Amino acid sequence: MLNVNDELKPWVEMLQSTTVEDRLVAVKTLQYIGDESAIAPLIQALKDEDTNVQKIAITAIWELTNPIAVKPLMGCLRSPDPEVREEALSALKELIAPADLLMLLDALQEDNFYMQLNVLILLRKIHDAQALPYVIPFFESEKAELREAAIITLRYLNQVETCPPALALIDDEVANVRRETTLTFGYLKDEEVIELLCEALTDDPDWQVRRNAAQSLALHQDSSTISWLKKALTDEHWQVRKFSARTLQTIADESVIPTLIKCLTDEYSDIRRDAAIALGNIGNPDVLNALQQTLDDPDADVRIFSQRAIDKIQQQQTALNQ
Amino acid sequence: MALTTQRVDVPVIVDESKCLEKCNACIEVCPLDVLVKNPETGKAYMKYDECWFCLPCEKECPTNAITVQIPFLLR
Repeated sequence: MLNVNDELKPWVEMLQSTTVEDRLVAVKTLQYIGDESAIAPLIQALKDEDTNVQKIAITAIWELTNPIAVKPLMGCLRSPDPEVREEALSALKELIAPADLLMLLDALQEDNFYMQLNVLILLRKIHDAQALPYVIPFFESEKAELREAAIITLRYLNQVETCPPALALIDDEVANVRRETTLTFGYLKDEEVIELLCEALTDDPDWQVRRNAAQSLALHQDSSTISWLKKALTDEHWQVRKFSARTLQTIADESVIPTLIKCLTDEYSDIRRDAAIALGNIGNPDVLNALQQTLDDPDADVRIFSQRAIDKIQQQQTALNQ
Repeated sequence: MALTTQRVDVPVIVDESKCLEKCNACIEVCPLDVLVKNPETGKAYMKYDECWFCLPCEKECPTNAITVQIPFLLR
């Protein structure tokens, strides 16, 4: 019998009962009491045959926040029951610490889909670049979920600047994987990354991939991407046009002025507003006339940001003339 | 607090087929103490027609036996 105090004893005994109802009542009561000395029986309850008992035991352990429960909770990540896995993952997200890295990397070697998927998610909490060699093999996994989880994890690893094996995922057959890959590319500094993002921005059939590519290019702020962004300003999907205009706010270049002026009449107000901001950042006085025409725009945001852009350009001109 | 006369009208509905006789989770968490055990059946029920619709009873029930019906205007 485990060493527990008198208040807990009847409930710990009830946890060994043959009827599920009794075990449910026992584990729920132990959760409610919230006594640290109940941790050992609760860890045993993680192996209960009933998934409801397991779930309540996980929640009870989570509330006790004792690091000794990390390893037993890891075992629940391979459970066939999705609710048990989800509860264990949520608990581990709070309990996991950098010292658990080696244990996570060991678990990643296990040939179990759920375990691998959940460990890839947990590695994002640790941010340690030592995990990189263990994450890379998942870029070539047969399962799209693992490829997607691995590429997301990559962008959470500190100090990782280049990762050539990740580049091939931009051509993945699954759109979700490509969407996450384009977002991760915003944080990589491989030579090919900018070119691959530009190609994805204009050629990918999925609009979310194109939008994410525009978003990532804003992080790179590379002037060689201007012609691609200019093309993306005429994309059929409004979100791609919006994020391209946003990226052009960070790379001021006069060659995009005509396309940005056209965007001032876009049917979506977000694009009109972002185009006005981008024109203000370029600072060319030739656009003042176009900006003034947007001062009676039906959208208040567009009017406010157009006025700010006009003020900005006029102030720059005044400073130059003085 | 007003005693409930028509149990079907109360906002906290307990599915007696799922309610566990030895369990007190919902009674323990209710801030208004409106839930009690029926001594005859051992099942929980809403004794007083008073509810804050705070939902811990529904959430804490280990067998999902409780349903709280939130009035339309509070949703």
